[in-house]
Amino acid sequence: MNLFRFLRSWEFFLVVLLVVEIAVLGLINPVFFNAENLLYATLDFTHILFAALPLTLVIITAGIDISGVSIMGLASITLGLAWVAGMNIFVALAIALLVGILAGAFNGFFVAKTDVNPLVITLGTLFMFAGLAQGMPALLDKLGFKAYGSAGLAAYQYEGITGLPDEFIALTEGTVGIVPYPLIAVLAFTVLLSLLLHKTRFGRSLYLIGVNPKAAEYSGVPIRKILVWAYVLSGFGAALAGTMLTSYFTSARADLGGDALLPIITAVVLGGADILGGSGAVWGTLLAGLILGFLRQGLLALGVTSDLIQVVVGALLIGAMATKQLVHVFGEYRLNRKALFRRNGR
Amino acid sequence: MRSFLRSREALVGMLFVALLVVTGLFNPNFFKPESIVEIFNASLTLVLITLGEMFVILTRGIDVSVGAVAGLAAVVLGTTLNLGWPLGLAVAAALATGMLAGAVNAVGITLLRVPPIIMTLGTLGIYRGLMRVITGGSWIENLPQNIKEPNLWNLLGIPFFVWVGLALLALTMVLTLRVRVARYFYAVGDNEDGAYLLGLPVRWTQFAAYTLAGLFAAFAAVVFTSQIGFVSMNAADGFELKAIAANVLGGVSLTGGVGTPLGAAIGALFLTAVHSMLIFLGVPGIWDNAFAGAILLAVVYVDYRVRTALELQQRQARIRGDLWGGEPS
Amino acid sequence: MFSGVPVLKGIDFTLRHGEVHALLGGNGSGKSTTMKIISGAYPLDAGQLFLEGEPIHLDSPRSAHERGIYMVPQEPHVFPHLSVLENLGMGLPFAAAELRRRALPLLEEMGFDVQLEEQSAFLSIAQQQLLEIVRGLLRNARVLIFDEPTSALTFREANHLFERMRRLTEQGIGIVFISHRLGEVMDIADRISVLRDGRFVLSEARANLTPHDLVRAMLPPDAVTGKEEAKREPRASRSDRPVLEVENLSSEAFSDVSFSLHPGEVLGLAGLVGSGRTELCEAIVGLDPHASGSVRLAGRQLPHRTPSLCQRHGLVYVPEDRHAHGIFLGLPSLYTISASVLDRLGRWLLNERRELELGDRFVRNLNIKLNSLRQPAGTLSGGNQQKVVLAKALAVAPRIVILDEPTRGIDASARQDVYRLIRRLTDEGVGVLLISSELEEIVNLSDRVLVMRHGRVVQELTGEAIRLDRITEASFGLAPGGESS
Repeated sequence: MNLFRFLRSWEFFLVVLLVVEIAVLGLINPVFFNAENLLYATLDFTHILFAALPLTLVIITAGIDISGVSIMGLASITLGLAWVAGMNIFVALAIALLVGILAGAFNGFFVAKTDVNPLVITLGTLFMFAGLAQGMPALLDKLGFKAYGSAGLAAYQYEGITGLPDEFIALTEGTVGIVPYPLIAVLAFTVLLSLLLHKTRFGRSLYLIGVNPKAAEYSGVPIRKILVWAYVLSGFGAALAGTMLTSYFTSARADLGGDALLPIITAVVLGGADILGGSGAVWGTLLAGLILGFLRQGLLALGVTSDLIQVVVGALLIGAMATKQLVHVFGEYRLNRKALFRRNGR
Repeated sequence: MRSFLRSREALVGMLFVALLVVTGLFNPNFFKPESIVEIFNASLTLVLITLGEMFVILTRGIDVSVGAVAGLAAVVLGTTLNLGWPLGLAVAAALATGMLAGAVNAVGITLLRVPPIIMTLGTLGIYRGLMRVITGGSWIENLPQNIKEPNLWNLLGIPFFVWVGLALLALTMVLTLRVRVARYFYAVGDNEDGAYLLGLPVRWTQFAAYTLAGLFAAFAAVVFTSQIGFVSMNAADGFELKAIAANVLGGVSLTGGVGTPLGAAIGALFLTAVHSMLIFLGVPGIWDNAFAGAILLAVVYVDYRVRTALELQQRQARIRGDLWGGEPS
Repeated sequence: MFSGVPVLKGIDFTLRHGEVHALLGGNGSGKSTTMKIISGAYPLDAGQLFLEGEPIHLDSPRSAHERGIYMVPQEPHVFPHLSVLENLGMGLPFAAAELRRRALPLLEEMGFDVQLEEQSAFLSIAQQQLLEIVRGLLRNARVLIFDEPTSALTFREANHLFERMRRLTEQGIGIVFISHRLGEVMDIADRISVLRDGRFVLSEARANLTPHDLVRAMLPPDAVTGKEEAKREPRASRSDRPVLEVENLSSEAFSDVSFSLHPGEVLGLAGLVGSGRTELCEAIVGLDPHASGSVRLAGRQLPHRTPSLCQRHGLVYVPEDRHAHGIFLGLPSLYTISASVLDRLGRWLLNERRELELGDRFVRNLNIKLNSLRQPAGTLSGGNQQKVVLAKALAVAPRIVILDEPTRGIDASARQDVYRLIRRLTDEGVGVLLISSELEEIVNLSDRVLVMRHGRVVQELTGEAIRLDRITEASFGLAPGGESS
């Protein structure tokens, strides 16, 4: 990408926004100029990024996946149950991620094999996965398996499956230098998805499907296969988010991530993806996620209540979209005016 | 038969009745009038929100803020009541709040051209936030008795609010099926360009749909506030998704222009009744969501299969007609 | 004006009471745009409209309706889930009873025989058109605009329509009739105007015109009007093994079609719009899974075809509707060019250098005018968009190319580029199946011509027999030398 184009891009605008945001927050409260604090603060919202990054791919295909918030809880509770069953915690982690992949594959097959609106499908699976996550421990308990962990039902209802081993908790506590592991994982995930999106046949096909699925079909793009993989990635990302939160909160719960839907979609849309498909990039999503996350942290630190922050985030989402629409309308208008004057001038 | 198979109301209605019968066979207590009335009573909030959402979906839009609108309207109702406003005025304020919140969505969507899902996702955050800003984050309790009373009234053994719900359902039925201007919702969702070229006020129709969704969410707020007697900060949380699910279940298509209030109401009743049915069947309530989701997916899948099978049949009939029917047209 | 591309360039158009004024022109010449401006659907960038001598300003279809201007669109705007009566009354301030009272006499006059309570999804195209006309009459329209009303009608249905149009003109209603069928236009019109590239090049009373004048006016001044070149040597001898063999292919849009295509041959496929040509081609490349019959590529039977399977066997299809099926408007032009050969640009990773080379090669070969391969395809002119779509097809290095209306809506010079390309392909031994509604194109380029009518191949022409009149006669189902239509 050449420099000039980068400077005019939405990503660059987001970079500037992020820098300005940190500067403003820092001037108000110098804590934000402390790199270690800043990086540590990301732990509160890396799960948003894990889910939002691969969701970008789904939205590029003009699809949507709102079931991720339920997959988070499902992955978390799966991990907890597997561990309670006596498995090594990392085996349990692998199983939880696998469940995320399977959940995503279910969405993907349903989307690819039918003409049902992806919003309806993932709405159905949002309820179904959440229900499974809530019901599974009770079912297993009924079957004679002590699913609630050592502390029993009362403790489970209050704080989920606790007592997870230290080496698992260390996954979110550990740092390389001052950079927390999860942030490194997010960056690695972004790089990976970005390569996938811009350098591979798969990634190119996502854009082609999003812009014109008919033309993609006529061109021989294997639409169904590509769609299934996009939703698989989304499910995997949500499972990563769920297990990361499990480690961060040191407990496995069925209702993790329930309130993450708004920030996840906001990050993707603010990151530049068009909800109608065909555009978007994971770096934009990463930057938008960071901006939103720090905004939240910053406002909290300034004593703004988390309720007002919701208002700010909602307004930001609408404002960004409205601006984009207006810029587009104005651009069309200007093009037409120019063409008219060019012609009349002759 | 074909049109019957095609009708989602029939499909879901049958499924609903079948499940009711199974539950009743399993546990005869289920057929007691009180249980049935209780199901109706419990489903009222969702039915009302679903009916409002239906207008939006008919125009091929979507509104994921209706739960938050209901919450906001409930907060306004509770706050004004505790300020000593008379009941009628407080209810009017709540309904006005709902309409205003819906109108804000409508402005963003029709004027600023923000995609509906983005606009209403944004206002979902805004309205939920405003609820807490107004109340300072605490629940509104100690509401005056006059708001709780209507919930206790009943006629012929049926609670007052069930009558209200039935009346509103009947009203929307008459509105959508008989009133000329209300048919615009269908026309706009069925064929937006066509509607514009025929001179229909497309933007105003969409505007009305979102405003009505807000108004119905406010109706729901009045009902559940009276039923439970306080306003919690997560009042009607998640109802936006349930309302969409109920509409889809009841045959209101997200592609616009198809569906009836009766179908939407059956969908909402169904989703709520799942809870009662599972309890009567001895399944713990935590499985509600799993069943609701599975039923939704099963219904849309069956619908897809029936639809494609009928289309194939029609195509083949046309081919045969062409081959044997002399000059094709 | 669309994204800075002017469609109309200063036109004057007049319609008198009680006349049928036909508007002719190739696709993309600006006919539909003119009418959409007159009917209020598109805004006017410059100029003025007058009705009965009064200047009027239209900002929406509704404002046009209020002034008695109604457009019967090419694709009738039907609400399939609503009843016929509701469809008629949509947007009108009448209650059901009043609507019925007003509509019934109109329906009877138009000979519209249908139950008003019936769901509109079951109306035929001809009935849908009548529904649109009655909608206009219910609005007391004085100006009715018909945008290619006959394109989906049978011969008989079209004649019925013309009778009704005459009856309307007797009431003083002015009718604008857009068509690309010369025979019809000569039959029904009082006056005829021809649009080309957004300008009127002809406007005359019908009595002073011959079909030949109209054809000449529609073609660019420098166009070759007959088969002026020396008849080319057939590039393929019939003894060559065919690259494409189609046997007894049938679907709902066509039946029992068989033909073969040889290497280096251009097989023209003529016939009226709606005669089943496009559907046939879609079935050949596997876009219609319900079609029956057999297709062999280079002798190999392909029962379960998909576009990508056909591509792998060297068969590509360039669809008629390039915006809907061919091009990725919002993405860089390069992405469209390479879309069909992504699998050849690397197993997993896309080789960017190779992709750019591919793009450059086609930009040079096809003379595509663009600033950079990164330029979004949507900002190119129609002709260059079509070339980008052609490049996508040719990137596969096909043995058979199916071109469906390859020159629709593109300018004269791009057209010549496409013709040159077809010649070059056949020189290289590629078999070309060419669908076109522009008969001159078929005559000039084809070695052999199949004419379709009502879903069947009714005529095969070769060599000297490939003539405009023979094709036209066959398309309309007339015996050679018989009464021309």
